[in-house]
Amino acid sequence: MARGKLKRSVQASTILEVVVSMVIIVVAFGIAMMIYTNVTRMSLSAKKIRAQMLLQETMLIAEHTSANVTQTINKDDFRIEKEVKPYHEDAVLTDIHLTAYDQNQQKVAELRKIIINQP
Amino acid sequence: MVKASALYIVIIIALVIAVICSSLIISAYFYRIQYQKKFRYDQLENNLNSGVNIILASSDTAYAKERTLSLFNGDADSVSLQRLTWGIYDVGIVKAFIQKDTLFKIFSIANAIDSSKWAALYLVDEDRPFSLSGKTTIRGDAYIPKAGVQQAYVDNKAYQGDKRLIIGTKHISDKKLPVLNDQRLKQLEQYQDQNVTNDHALTKTDSVTSSFLKPTRFVNFKKEAETIKNIKIKGNVVLLSDTTLTIDSTAVLNDILVFARTIIVKSGFHGSCQLFAADSVSIQRNCRFDYPSCAGILRFKPPPVKSQAKITIGNHTDFSGVIFTYEKMETPVKPLISVGQYATINGQVYSQGILELKDSTKVCGSVFTSRFLYKNTFTLFENYLINTTIDSKALSRHYLTSELLPVSKKNKKVLQWLEAN
Repeated sequence: MARGKLKRSVQASTILEVVVSMVIIVVAFGIAMMIYTNVTRMSLSAKKIRAQMLLQETMLIAEHTSANVTQTINKDDFRIEKEVKPYHEDAVLTDIHLTAYDQNQQKVAELRKIIINQP
Repeated sequence: MVKASALYIVIIIALVIAVICSSLIISAYFYRIQYQKKFRYDQLENNLNSGVNIILASSDTAYAKERTLSLFNGDADSVSLQRLTWGIYDVGIVKAFIQKDTLFKIFSIANAIDSSKWAALYLVDEDRPFSLSGKTTIRGDAYIPKAGVQQAYVDNKAYQGDKRLIIGTKHISDKKLPVLNDQRLKQLEQYQDQNVTNDHALTKTDSVTSSFLKPTRFVNFKKEAETIKNIKIKGNVVLLSDTTLTIDSTAVLNDILVFARTIIVKSGFHGSCQLFAADSVSIQRNCRFDYPSCAGILRFKPPPVKSQAKITIGNHTDFSGVIFTYEKMETPVKPLISVGQYATINGQVYSQGILELKDSTKVCGSVFTSRFLYKNTFTLFENYLINTTIDSKALSRHYLTSELLPVSKKNKKVLQWLEAN
């Protein structure tokens, strides 16, 4: 049976066919890699989610704190800038603006909220 | 003979790659859209909460009409705020929107308790002592007459409660009760004077739900004595009547306001609403009023026929909220609040006149009254408490009061989330 298979002849491709197919395959792979890189780059990074969660947590703490001041907080791998100011000169309301930066000092996430001052 | 067909094979491989790539692009596109949507909704939720805080911190009149504002003068931070008066409480309406996406929250607002003014008992000083008998418990701070508190022997029963008589700090009370908030009373008076057309639709349906986003639905029965039965009414609805309004046990009322001359609630009723009457509120036995409810007598004008304003709470009834009486002009016959046997009140009782607490009643919260009354078959005792419990510690620490009552703090909190999307 093995001998029978060997006896079957295979027609070779021409050099032109091989070259064209190689070009097509390279172009196809190139486009595929480009798309893949773009998709992974554009998708939400875990870092961004972590930064967002961290800001939510910081905001929650700020809402239950009586004395909020403008400060820089270092948490995990992030630097959080906390800006505190009265909202429209209202003594009861405070405008809290949180911005998270990564190690490359790139802005990763932002959160702003008006809270009621704790007595 | 097998053909090499390198081109065909490559085209098929390229096709497969194209399919994989296109699915990758589509999934990334949907993921991105969903992420943007989530991000937008997170931002909306954040703006909405900021709006809620602005409403809670605002003065009463600042947002009486709907106001739209930009929170931080940015692109995606528009909110629309409104605050309505809703009986003894307020209702806040907050909408946050970015492009076509809108989130809204509707909630009732109440005041925190001022612990410096809060008391389990405030009994006006009428230059006579206050007596306790039977298994009576008073737990919490108490404002009592200068003559003090003493044990008494009534109905062949001696005092069997705690030796301290009042488990808490004792203060001396004034000759008059702390007054109700005048501004809130004026707002309640406006409801009574509403002159609106009759809404017959109420009698034709079995369920009425009105959103606070829409204008208030007034149903005026005028001089027809009406019975509300086999119907569920919820939300932004005000029932008005110039005469007697009967609420049957088959009716379910939630969050609504009822203004009438006389209100009768049939036994077995279950709901949460605010009832205001000029003459009397009669709640029969085995009813359950969930928090936040209210039963009040509002007498801004003297009645045409001299009659005693009265609130009756039937036996075994549970009432959570506020019970109060108010008469603008003092009359010789003082208003009466009568609480039946085994009835439980979770909240506050403010009686400008007389408060009758029958055997085995329990008030988890606070009692403000000018005078106590206890009746047995033969005798009538004034300023006696017999087999009664007044326990301010038993009240939930999350309990919020109305600014109408004198123990309220200025800062406001969310009482109940009514509607949201």
